[in-house]
Amino acid sequence: MSGTAMGVDVDRVSKRFAHRVKGEVYAARDVTLRVQPGEFLTLLGPSGCGKTTTLRMIAGFERPDAGRICFGNDDVTGVPANRRNIGFVFQNYALFPHLSIFENVAYGLRVRGEPEDAITRAVSDVLALVGLGAHEQQFPAQLSGGEQQRVALARAIVIRPRVLLFDEPLSNLDAKLRVQMRHEIRDLQRRLSITTIYVTHDQEEAMAVSDRIAVMNQGRVVQEGTAEDLYHRPATQFVAQFVGRVNLIAGVVQTINGRSATIAALGRAIVARPSPCDLIAGDSVQIALRPEAIAIAQTSAPGSLQATVLSSVFLGDKVEYLVRCGDETLQVARYNAGPTTPLAAGTAVGLSFAEDAVVVLRISRESAT
Amino acid sequence: MSAAGVAPTAVVAGRPSRDIGIALTVAALWLLLALFVVYPLVMLFARMLGMLGGRGSVDFGALLALLTDRNQLRAFWNSLLLAFLVGTVGTLAGFLFAFTATRCRLPRAAVTAIDASVLLPLVSPPFTTAIAMIFSFGPRGLITYGVFGLKGYTVYGLGATLFSEALTYFPIAYLTLRPILTAIDSNIEGMAQSLGASRWRVFRTVTLPLTVPGIANAFLLLFAASLADFATPLILAGNSFPVLPTQAYLQITGLFDLRGGAALSFALLVPALIVFLLQRYWVSRRFYVTITGKGAGQTPFDSVSPGGRIVLIASVISITVVVAYFYALLLYASLVVALGANHTPTLAHYRVIFTDGWNAIRDTLIIAGFSMPLGGLYGILLGYLVTRHRFPGRRTMEAVSMMNYALPGTIVGIAYLIAFNDPPLVLTGTALIIIACYVFRYGPTGIRATVALLQQIDPSLEEASQGLGARSGTTFRRVTLPLIMPAFFAGLGIVFIRSMTAISATIFLVSISWTLITVKILEDITELSLGPAAAFSVLVVVIVFVVVAGISRVLREFRAPGAPGVSLFGG
Repeated sequence: MSGTAMGVDVDRVSKRFAHRVKGEVYAARDVTLRVQPGEFLTLLGPSGCGKTTTLRMIAGFERPDAGRICFGNDDVTGVPANRRNIGFVFQNYALFPHLSIFENVAYGLRVRGEPEDAITRAVSDVLALVGLGAHEQQFPAQLSGGEQQRVALARAIVIRPRVLLFDEPLSNLDAKLRVQMRHEIRDLQRRLSITTIYVTHDQEEAMAVSDRIAVMNQGRVVQEGTAEDLYHRPATQFVAQFVGRVNLIAGVVQTINGRSATIAALGRAIVARPSPCDLIAGDSVQIALRPEAIAIAQTSAPGSLQATVLSSVFLGDKVEYLVRCGDETLQVARYNAGPTTPLAAGTAVGLSFAEDAVVVLRISRESAT
Repeated sequence: MSAAGVAPTAVVAGRPSRDIGIALTVAALWLLLALFVVYPLVMLFARMLGMLGGRGSVDFGALLALLTDRNQLRAFWNSLLLAFLVGTVGTLAGFLFAFTATRCRLPRAAVTAIDASVLLPLVSPPFTTAIAMIFSFGPRGLITYGVFGLKGYTVYGLGATLFSEALTYFPIAYLTLRPILTAIDSNIEGMAQSLGASRWRVFRTVTLPLTVPGIANAFLLLFAASLADFATPLILAGNSFPVLPTQAYLQITGLFDLRGGAALSFALLVPALIVFLLQRYWVSRRFYVTITGKGAGQTPFDSVSPGGRIVLIASVISITVVVAYFYALLLYASLVVALGANHTPTLAHYRVIFTDGWNAIRDTLIIAGFSMPLGGLYGILLGYLVTRHRFPGRRTMEAVSMMNYALPGTIVGIAYLIAFNDPPLVLTGTALIIIACYVFRYGPTGIRATVALLQQIDPSLEEASQGLGARSGTTFRRVTLPLIMPAFFAGLGIVFIRSMTAISATIFLVSISWTLITVKILEDITELSLGPAAAFSVLVVVIVFVVVAGISRVLREFRAPGAPGVSLFGG
């Protein structure tokens, strides 16, 4: 069922909307994406960041005000959705309520005028592929949410699309099913190697399914990279806060020595590898530190930071602490290897972390919304 | 908190009522329904069966003879033909308007203009367009005689009646279809497009099939409206095209044959009942639920090509222009001496209606003023009881309450005439008979609005009130009533509009002491004093517009933030 995979180029695409209060606003601004053939790219961001608008422009549901969209070498910017040969999966599945499951999946093939026996074969194959072989004659309203999602998926891939597009496909499912479905989607995409663009606001989902993630905020792509890149090397305060949880601590650059910097923060000098390389001594910065990167111990080892436990929450696999360290309140997570008793509030503790766990960020006014 | 303690509230929507207040209200409502719905219909039936057999015995032969009379049979088939054509043409026009309003990306002002032009026929007496037809196409019509100089052209017949009724009733189709087209998730249409379908194919394979239940519903509503309309055929059908409601009316007023009228009106009952049952129990179950999560509020699907858009908008504008022309003509006719002959401006017609016609205006306003609150109250009380309380015969009560609403007005009018002319209850000649007719015929709109609204309000709100110790009366007053106020005002609005504009039932019930504007208009038309008829029509439209605007304002005020909305013309 796999056609030759094809890359997608989104080149400086913008879309403006007239807003009743704010006047003209950019839903997407100079968005540039290069998706490799067969790659799984996720657009990740909070609601209103422009990810769905970008996806709808790639699908052809919206026309960009500026920029160019290419599938392979084809410029499709002005091509309507029905001539782009895409597969689209909507958040609410958008199944045709008046057609049976078979006819839902067959729709795209019928539009293409394929012969009846080819349709029957293709639909049966794809329904078997998504595990719904027995449901051909049922109607969408008779299926569960997960099954409807599979029909939507089958309907999108049966036409052998050049590009597969997902708009928050899992957000109407319950948590368990969501995890299961994201594995299935990932698995199917690998097997069919269809170039895929996926939109979600759920960072865990994005990390689980994607080859690469583009984080969007306020209409722009703010960082692109693998899940590891984004998590360990966030480029901005927004990305640090949106992908995973983070402690942001104010600091001042003291010295720069080649590839590492000394930052005055938490009442001491912290050595870190700065990500922005244009820092100079005296700059105000923030350092980002993941809660699980901080080790917490009752016996304070030499060189550790002195802190006091404010509160703790037992979550099964880990204990989350809020601790007071100088003027800062920090989140610390300690994973439980076995039965443990959380440290009580008021306990004096020592905190420590590895040098390479510290990320230095320039102070920006952009904020997580 | 055992499972057993939770189960009953989860299963039972209403609760068994032990309250004495509820029991008394239910009993009172049953009494009223028996008196004003069941009793008249039973009397009508009895009168029809006993019509020629005289003392006690039933003469089916004579009944059959009347019903199989060639003229009456023709009237019967004519009625069905007219209703079918009005249903088809009106639904087409309604769909055209609804589709244009929802899919052509019109500016807000244009949609408001469509709504306004559609509202006009809805709030006018049913024969307003018929009068305008005569002004335009009649013997001295502005168009036939004035523009084309035709002499001896006759407008009367099927064509004119169809045109006039379709123009009058297509707004019903518009109001039925527009919410359905709006509710179709634009993603579903977008999905079809992304699978490669052209705009036309999306329309043919997705949009249209999803609207079919609404189209069927609109068709049946128009079919029923046309079947019941007797004023338009009376004015426009002429002798060549007799229809049943008109025949029944003439049988009674012309020949004073109450029994014959009863029998003829009864013949109407069969198709009317079939249509009503089809509409309620067949079509209403075939609606697809397509509203899920994100659908609403998204950019509408780009379903119309630029060329198609121009054609659609042009068609809508031309129909709107016809409606506007008719009403402008009516206004103009009320302000000149004699339209078609002497176009000198004058206020004489208004002087006539406020002097000679004053009684009709006063009576109509008094009757509407009483019917309105009573009908509104009746609507929410009955609607509340049947949805929120369990008592024996609850379903039957709802069905019975719908009868006068579902039946053509001619039947209801004749039934009231027969039932309340003789003891035990003589109401003929009083205002009460007209008020009762309006309350029980148009109050059901309020019942349906209340039921629809209550179905969207979680019963747990009322359970919370009871859990805090409130009795059901208190709960109703403090919790339910504020929530269903919109339905109350919707009921008020409809009863008022109908009290001002209806004629088919009440023409049999007016008397020397109590008469109605609509009846007066009809009299004026038959006496060919078209000026005062036009002035009366303009007056009715103005009064109804003012009151509807007022009620809509109150409706907005009363709609709590987040509460489900109710449209005045919803059902």
